[in-house]
Amino acid sequence: MLGCGVKRKWSCLEELEVEAEQDGDEGGEDELLVGPSRSEMSRLQQRQVVLGLCLEKLQRYQVGMELSLRRSVLLINTLRQIQEDMRSDGVGTCSPDVHPDSCILRDDFREDMPVTCPGCAEGDGDNLSLSPPASPESPSQEANSPPDQQKPLPAATVSAFSDAVNAMGYLSDFALDDIFEDIDTSMYETSDLTSAWASGSLWPVSVSLWADEDVKMRPPAHSSPGSLQSCLMDLNELDHIMEILVKS
Amino acid sequence: MTKCSKDALRCDNSCGGDNCVKQRTKCALLIKSAASTAGIGAVPASRTVSCWMRPEVWTGPASPPSPSSSLICRYQDPEPADLSMEEESDTRKINNSFLRDHNYATEADIISTVEFNSSGELLATGDKGGRVVVFQREQESKSQPQRRGEYNVYSTFQSHEPEFDYLKSLEIEEKINKIKWLPQQNAAYFLLSTNDKTVKLWKISERDKRPEGYNLKDEDGRIKDPSTITSLRVPVLQPMDLMVEATARRVFSNAHTYHINSISVNSDLQTFISTDDLRVNLWNLEITDRSFNIVDIKPANMEELTEVITSAEFHPQQCHTFAYSSSKGSIRLCDMRQAALCDKHCKYFEEPEDPSTRSFFSEIISSISDVKFSHNGRYLMTRDYLTVKVWDLQMENKPLETYQVHDYLRGKLCSLYENDCIFDKFECVWNGSDSVIMTGSYNNFFRMFDRNTKRDVTLEASRENSKPRAILKPRKVCVGGKRRKDEISVDSLDFSKKILHTTWHPHENIIAVAATNNLYIFQDKVN
Repeated sequence: MLGCGVKRKWSCLEELEVEAEQDGDEGGEDELLVGPSRSEMSRLQQRQVVLGLCLEKLQRYQVGMELSLRRSVLLINTLRQIQEDMRSDGVGTCSPDVHPDSCILRDDFREDMPVTCPGCAEGDGDNLSLSPPASPESPSQEANSPPDQQKPLPAATVSAFSDAVNAMGYLSDFALDDIFEDIDTSMYETSDLTSAWASGSLWPVSVSLWADEDVKMRPPAHSSPGSLQSCLMDLNELDHIMEILVKS
Repeated sequence: MTKCSKDALRCDNSCGGDNCVKQRTKCALLIKSAASTAGIGAVPASRTVSCWMRPEVWTGPASPPSPSSSLICRYQDPEPADLSMEEESDTRKINNSFLRDHNYATEADIISTVEFNSSGELLATGDKGGRVVVFQREQESKSQPQRRGEYNVYSTFQSHEPEFDYLKSLEIEEKINKIKWLPQQNAAYFLLSTNDKTVKLWKISERDKRPEGYNLKDEDGRIKDPSTITSLRVPVLQPMDLMVEATARRVFSNAHTYHINSISVNSDLQTFISTDDLRVNLWNLEITDRSFNIVDIKPANMEELTEVITSAEFHPQQCHTFAYSSSKGSIRLCDMRQAALCDKHCKYFEEPEDPSTRSFFSEIISSISDVKFSHNGRYLMTRDYLTVKVWDLQMENKPLETYQVHDYLRGKLCSLYENDCIFDKFECVWNGSDSVIMTGSYNNFFRMFDRNTKRDVTLEASRENSKPRAILKPRKVCVGGKRRKDEISVDSLDFSKKILHTTWHPHENIIAVAATNNLYIFQDKVN
């Protein structure tokens, strides 16, 4: 990638980093404040930025050129680290399972259709088999606030993370198109995607990122039920994730 | 494709064509025409190394820290005439009229590896277009002792071509990832060059005699009519203009599923290893249809993959020992005598993470991009994104020495992650005596660290700052606050100008530095 970063204005990222550096010094003063300190906020902001970048990089692929395995592994590990970080921020929900990239298999997916249907997201939590504890209720309401506020809320972002993972599954699972006809996935249904899917090197998060090249037609790994019992999906969160993925 | 216009006898392969097929009449070298804006001579500008510096004077860190480093800047006109092997001093006069404009440099010219051979007489460069250019140091002439041996183009050949993997519908790049020389055993030179999938053994040999006086063929190679032959004669060898040929002697292919990142020749001079992201394969130089897999870190379930191999090297003296580095910042030393599959390491080098500097990028910046044994075989040097570390082979829990290459980037990691620079793989080198280590950075800066005096210097490889016989000034990056006159601030650094590949002469203080598509050769100051 030549030419990247030449005299680039790192405006927003730089501010984040400068903030982070400054807050590092001021950490002591903030202990009296109620709620997250400034340094904590900027750390969460940075985490959000990095999460977005990570997903973007994993999604971006070059048809016809092999992905660098080292780069993919480093990106996935960063993603996992962010997920761990989110989880350790005190999220009590049933989190996606340890391997975010080992989810989504068609059969299991169909069973859990009602769970993740966006229409049922709000208010139907009681009917679901999973056990949404009280904590995600309030954060999800807070998440209804303008999405561009970018307040990173642990539960919401954890669900957002799993939503991103599931969303990728939706978009390429052609058999389920009829259920998601309201979501415009036409731009994803290209021959490029098909060939990339066949070659297996596309898959950033779900199934297997790096095609097992020794075994040509390896079936996607079965996911564990835990990953599919995802948390309540907020429609705004889905839009937000779609925005990141589609970059519209 | 056009043919080189030179006569077969006169062509010295410097027109940059493919493997020379010696023909009696015309040189059969094919020159690929490139979309070049230079339009100089018969050689498209992109086929030759655009700029290489005549080695002149440079003071290494061992001297008192005075800015007395200097270099001569010389731009080589790509006309074949200037690259001839004739020992005319006039033809090597500086021709500064041709300047390669960076904006028009083609991507194929980007140098992807540089390597001195074991005597330092030859310097090989590989580029993204799959070509190898070999430079040879001229013999020092007694009549002009002040002109130390400078490096001239010796041979140019196309090592690898782009390929297409039909099974996976993927293109295999022809970019040369690594070149390693074999120690010289006879008059010919041998080197290994590799792209992502295939390693090739090249033989570079000179030809300065040709047989003349065949009975059945005339001087132009045409078959004679046998009825016109009246007498028989014995062909004799006649001297001819020196011609340098490169031929592929072995092709080691189909052994790597993932991209080859390094090759290393064993001290037994019979075997070598090639390493990709998950496997290390051992080859015999004579046998191309078989290789032994000695390290395999591929998990049964690819989704459990969290670590890849980034580099591997044989120990310089112990032919049974090699080391490989990982993307998680660890190095493993393996002994091949223990088992056929060296998955169990003998030694495991890893420095515990410093919790105070932990960030989301900790793992990425700890990924080791290069591992090099010292010449004496007692130390290991590793390069990760921000530091160079020297390890004592006897001490596994922490490095002996840690040098900060560009710590001012620590606060910019998020931005570097965004523009992908955080994934750049820098190499590192030892000098001949293992007292100084060198590595590259951004903005065409490269850094040298003297292990004894603990002094370090930042130098820049750029044409703008280098006039002929100019003095190379040490550079400094200003981190914050007031910027002094000669300093450059972190925000002004050009991250597209990165020095990833450098090499050091095995005995003398001569270094070669690759800056995108330019090769710089610096030499220590004479007296």
